[in-house]
Amino acid sequence: MKVLRLLSRTKLYWGLLLICLIGGLTSPHTSSGSNIFLSYANLTDVLRQVSITGLVATGMTMVILLGGIDLSVGSVMGFSTVICAMLLTKPGLTAASAMGVPAATIVSGVATALLARFIFRGLARGRDIGAGRRPDIAVSPWRSLWIPALLGVLCATAVAWWTTGQVPTKFGVLGVLLVAPCLALVLGAINGLLIVAGRLQPFIVTLAMMVSALGVARLTAGQDNAVVPVYTGTNATEAFEMLRSMLWGVLPVPSVFFLAAIILFGAIMRFTTFGRYAYAIGGNVEAAKLSGIKVAQVQLTAYLLSGLLAGIAGVLFVAQYRQGKPDAGAGLELDAIAAVVIGGTSLMGGRGGLAGTFVGVLIFGLLSDILQLQNIDSNVQLLMKGLIIVGTVLVQEQNLGQLIGRWRFSRSVEAQVDPKTAETHRLPNAPTADFAREDLDEAS
Amino acid sequence: MKRREFLKLSTTIAGAAMTVYVPAGWSPARTAGKWKVGFSQCTTLEPWRVQFNKDIQAEAKNHPDVDLVITDGQDKTEKQVADCDNLIVQQVNVLLISPKESAGLTGVVEKAIDAKIPVIVLDRNVDTKRITQFIGGDNVAIGKAAGEHAVKLLGGPGKAAGNVVEIWGGMGTQPAHDRHDGFHAFTDKEPGIKYLLNNQSGDWKQDKAYNIMTTALRNNEKIDLVYGHNDPMAYGAYLAAKDAGRDKDIKFILGIDGLPNEGVTWVSKGQLTATFLYATPGAEGLRQAVKLLKGEKLEPVITLPTMLITKENAPDILKKNGLL
Repeated sequence: MKVLRLLSRTKLYWGLLLICLIGGLTSPHTSSGSNIFLSYANLTDVLRQVSITGLVATGMTMVILLGGIDLSVGSVMGFSTVICAMLLTKPGLTAASAMGVPAATIVSGVATALLARFIFRGLARGRDIGAGRRPDIAVSPWRSLWIPALLGVLCATAVAWWTTGQVPTKFGVLGVLLVAPCLALVLGAINGLLIVAGRLQPFIVTLAMMVSALGVARLTAGQDNAVVPVYTGTNATEAFEMLRSMLWGVLPVPSVFFLAAIILFGAIMRFTTFGRYAYAIGGNVEAAKLSGIKVAQVQLTAYLLSGLLAGIAGVLFVAQYRQGKPDAGAGLELDAIAAVVIGGTSLMGGRGGLAGTFVGVLIFGLLSDILQLQNIDSNVQLLMKGLIIVGTVLVQEQNLGQLIGRWRFSRSVEAQVDPKTAETHRLPNAPTADFAREDLDEAS
Repeated sequence: MKRREFLKLSTTIAGAAMTVYVPAGWSPARTAGKWKVGFSQCTTLEPWRVQFNKDIQAEAKNHPDVDLVITDGQDKTEKQVADCDNLIVQQVNVLLISPKESAGLTGVVEKAIDAKIPVIVLDRNVDTKRITQFIGGDNVAIGKAAGEHAVKLLGGPGKAAGNVVEIWGGMGTQPAHDRHDGFHAFTDKEPGIKYLLNNQSGDWKQDKAYNIMTTALRNNEKIDLVYGHNDPMAYGAYLAAKDAGRDKDIKFILGIDGLPNEGVTWVSKGQLTATFLYATPGAEGLRQAVKLLKGEKLEPVITLPTMLITKENAPDILKKNGLL
């Protein structure tokens, strides 16, 4: 039984292996007889192709774990591609630099201030604990606020000086990598603030952002530019060569971003208090609030990071396809949600994780690679992808066995309700915490 | 005064002020013309459509007695129908329409005809014979021209040979099928030509075509010609070949559309071998509308000619558009 349970728990990884096996067995061969699907070039290529969706799905996982959803990522990414392409090709003060440089300045200022505050707090705590005093930085306004703020302003000024120095010419890779994601982060922050402070539904807020970010992106690009091209042969693309090359000939650079994001945020979700809090909030917001978790702060951070990752994805898109366009990310949010759900993260929040998302993204990418290698008609590909999403989630949610079981021996299954299913699928007449609370509310 | 009252009052005052102060360049300033021509564009999210709008606006500058109102259907049939309804209510003298799809917009076109507004349909037709005129390019003819050129590039009629990759536009769209059929009308006669891909759709997009081409390059060691149903897809395929270091082996990449800042630029740089002009019916549409308003009779159908754009004539076109 133990083996079975282990198998059941790791079935997503077995699924991935199975797909690799199917891909390897059915793959066409080159004239020298080597397997195309299993070739290193093909597998790294799949990694490269999924990394844009993957980055977005990483942010999406955190948002969904908190019980929210971010529909705006596609538009935010499109916006980021426009900003990036404009910074690369249009010299002088464009709409892109007019918006992007201040955003980068503010974001870097705030980030440095927070970082400095964190360090100072750690220093102060270490010293104060040693002296047997209260380990609370708030007692000293000087250390807690002024020094970090000063540092932040100084750093922001440095960044502003550096970026405005770049404006008359074209932006370098570093400048673009800084400015475009910062602007995307600001959009994410607007999402988060509206949800947290405005107490609106994440669905509504991010839907509104999805629509309006597309509008802003199109306005930035200018009405007469459906696409902002970054031609090959210009300085812009030579500087960007790095972002689409292979790192030391081993891994494509976009996938390095994706892997780094998965590892970094995977570690954060697993080992830090932020991660603990995120799962707690996703599991039950009320309980989390009552146990003193700063729900708003955690939620805000998640939307912020989702925007940031979409912004980085936008820069990678420009590097790869040499164009920025407002609708670059059309439908991306749905791909990302599909990957997250295939990876076993519950749309209700509180259950799942980034390892699952990584596998989900890979499954999605490998499947489309196999279909493409088999040269299957595009329309059939769409149909098969749909079937695969449903199939994977059915298996993932353990419902398939139940479904079949219920269909075949409907009575016997009902008779032997095991404690685990009784817990998750509440029986209608069983008193639960929710009902009890409602009763209390009515009584009072 | 209570806060709510104050807010109400100030909004009212602000609103009243706004109605008096209308920013310059808004519609009231433009009612100088004799005739009002409405143009319902289906989307402006594609470069070709943007060029379309530019063409019609440039032509409108030549006719000072015409007021041109352009609406953007934002790639949604229901939005475009609403746009047309709106233009009918405004009682435009002529309605130009470039429908997103035929069936959904037939009703509103008939409604305009019933309201005694002549309708000139551009680029894609509607399912009714009651329109005043249809102006559009002939995708089958363009596909045929592309096929003829491809056969020439691959060794001439009768002895053409090579592996061809065809990247489709949207599978469900008529232009893609027309461009496919026209192309194959010529190339199917050549026994030496082999087709490598089975109906792969790049959805008219550069990034999708890039990914299709990457796989095609991996699957096939010899590719001689790429035929993209539009320029961005052909260019995406070129980029994939370039990134794989094989752009020199694949000598001939053909596209269709011939926009000055896209296809023509790429052709002049030698990145695409050739492209075929798919002219926008914008300028011609407005000229015909003016003709109609001046009382002339219109032909029922105007087909716009295509043109082969190669490295030889590309610089001239760029110069004409002020891009060189």
